[in-house]
Amino acid sequence: MERIKTTGDPFINTIALMITLGISFLIAIVLIFVLSKEPGATIYYFFVGPFTNKYYFGNMLNSAVPLVFTGLGIAMAFKSSVFNLGGEGQVYSGALAAAVVCLALPAAGGFMGGLLGLTAAAAVGGVLAGGPGFFKMKWGTDELISSFLISGAVILVVNYFITGPLDDPANDLLATRAVAEQYRFLKVFPPSKLNISVFFALLTAGLLFFLLYYTHWGYEMRMCGLNREFSRYGGINVPAYLLMPMVLSGSLHGLAGGISILGTYYRFVKEFSFGMGWSGIAVALIARNHPLGVIPAALFFAYLEAGAKAAMIHSDVTFEIAALVQSVIFYLVTAQALYRFIQYRKRASS
Amino acid sequence: MNNSGYLLTLIHNTLGIMTPILLAATGGLFTELTGTLNIALEGLMLIGAFFSVVFAAYTGSLLAGILLGIISSMLLALIFGSISLYLKANIFISGLATNLLAGGLTIVLSFKLFGHKGVIRFEDIPALPVLEVEFLRRIPLVGDLLLGHNILVYLSWFCVLLAAVIIYRTPFGLRVRGTGLDPRTVESVGLSPAGYRMKAIIISGFTCGLAGAVLTLNLGAFVPNITSGRGWIALVAIYLGNKTPLGIFIASFVFGFAESFSNYAQGVMNIPANFILAIPYLITVLAMILYSIWRYYRAAKKEA
Repeated sequence: MERIKTTGDPFINTIALMITLGISFLIAIVLIFVLSKEPGATIYYFFVGPFTNKYYFGNMLNSAVPLVFTGLGIAMAFKSSVFNLGGEGQVYSGALAAAVVCLALPAAGGFMGGLLGLTAAAAVGGVLAGGPGFFKMKWGTDELISSFLISGAVILVVNYFITGPLDDPANDLLATRAVAEQYRFLKVFPPSKLNISVFFALLTAGLLFFLLYYTHWGYEMRMCGLNREFSRYGGINVPAYLLMPMVLSGSLHGLAGGISILGTYYRFVKEFSFGMGWSGIAVALIARNHPLGVIPAALFFAYLEAGAKAAMIHSDVTFEIAALVQSVIFYLVTAQALYRFIQYRKRASS
Repeated sequence: MNNSGYLLTLIHNTLGIMTPILLAATGGLFTELTGTLNIALEGLMLIGAFFSVVFAAYTGSLLAGILLGIISSMLLALIFGSISLYLKANIFISGLATNLLAGGLTIVLSFKLFGHKGVIRFEDIPALPVLEVEFLRRIPLVGDLLLGHNILVYLSWFCVLLAAVIIYRTPFGLRVRGTGLDPRTVESVGLSPAGYRMKAIIISGFTCGLAGAVLTLNLGAFVPNITSGRGWIALVAIYLGNKTPLGIFIASFVFGFAESFSNYAQGVMNIPANFILAIPYLITVLAMILYSIWRYYRAAKKEA
């Protein structure tokens, strides 16, 4: 929270966040009144819908899980003042890696196979973000643009595999075969899709919190995020903290993809993860890059989407009103917070 | 003979395909020169695409559709610019917000107006006029390559030319470039860098609106997310084109060629379209890395 402290009172920041979220809800209500013929019912389903039955509620919690991972990935990068804009591609290719590994290992035990799948997902994500981090470290290549471009290329390559060699003609979707039963995560809240990956998400957030605030490594990382010149003067290996946070960020994105496959979808479906990477940025911003703050922020985002889904099913509006509400949050959350972050980034890099 | 025929067709198609990218990149060039990272090109283009075809259908006039599409895109640019510059939001995040807003708004509106979120066809829109000049047709190459495009293609070339003149030959262009190079200098002569950034963003709204109109009016339909990354590619074209009008023209041509070649290769060769479409991204990354290596060693030499 260093960055936030110096920009003002944490209390004021919390209030500002509340105002941002309040305005976004207000806009949601206005939109519903404009778009819906039965605004009362629509508003009810939009705000209360996700809590009306176990299925909706569990699915809402479940869809927050990958957002915790992508949000953490962005937060760790932001915390060190590096940008990872390739989240979309890292989630997508991480998911494919997990699916491919689990499809290739029909004989392995459930635990080992799942673990290998997730390792592959994290590795692929880590390499994709680590590349731009490496170029940044070595030659100062702008990691923001290069991570985005690499992600853009990777999405196309993944699409090639899923429309070509890996597509299972037996299903109507552009999707792989389903992974074997023994690799699928245990459901914890049937009939919903909520599964044990929710504990992984909580554990990861806790672990990163500990790492960031209670270890030497985390201290150095935060220092580099605040001021690289000062850190270098203090004897910290600054270039290493351009690469490591990017690798960590990419791995977390890859994991978001991997757990979606093993926990929710069971097969890789074309374009299933689109938006997870972008949402991760919003989640990290709402959380002010705090690893534990990412959990409620991801829940909030999942709630918005679940509400919009419920309103679509039970009333006459379309799901995309969630995107409109999210865009309002995006606009406002940066207006009062990220502007200062950028100042720090500038200070850190100059 | 047959091969050169293919090549001519390929280049002819390229000139059509590159148009939206070129237009978006032309406007994006202004924002880039003011030192603004404008990732909202995608969203601005999408809004232009939606409103131009919808308004063309409602008014029955292509011109009215194009103009209203451009105005819609400029309005969104105004929102994007105001929030970024006056509310001091981070321009990168508000750019993402703009793309998200455009994606959501076009679908919500199409659901509200047409009752579904799929492809919306407009049967009664007149086709874009195509340029045919009989006596030029007879000139080899020129006739085959440069004729037979719709008028917006030629308009896009005019826009690039106009942009070059504005950027290099007018006081406004000088100040736009100055804003990017050193905002304090612009400030010191009593001008507002934020003002020039705002104007550049509005200009990008204008060209992106036109770029969107090219997409939908050509097709006579609106397809959800019809821009499908072209705004991002335009941004890349600006970098790849070294931030000059001629450069972005060439870069847009390369992207257009990759796409038209992939359309062709799908049918004839075994190179998958997705691979070919990925090439421009990889070329750009490679160019960026090489450029930074060069810069790095030049700086190291200077120190020594």
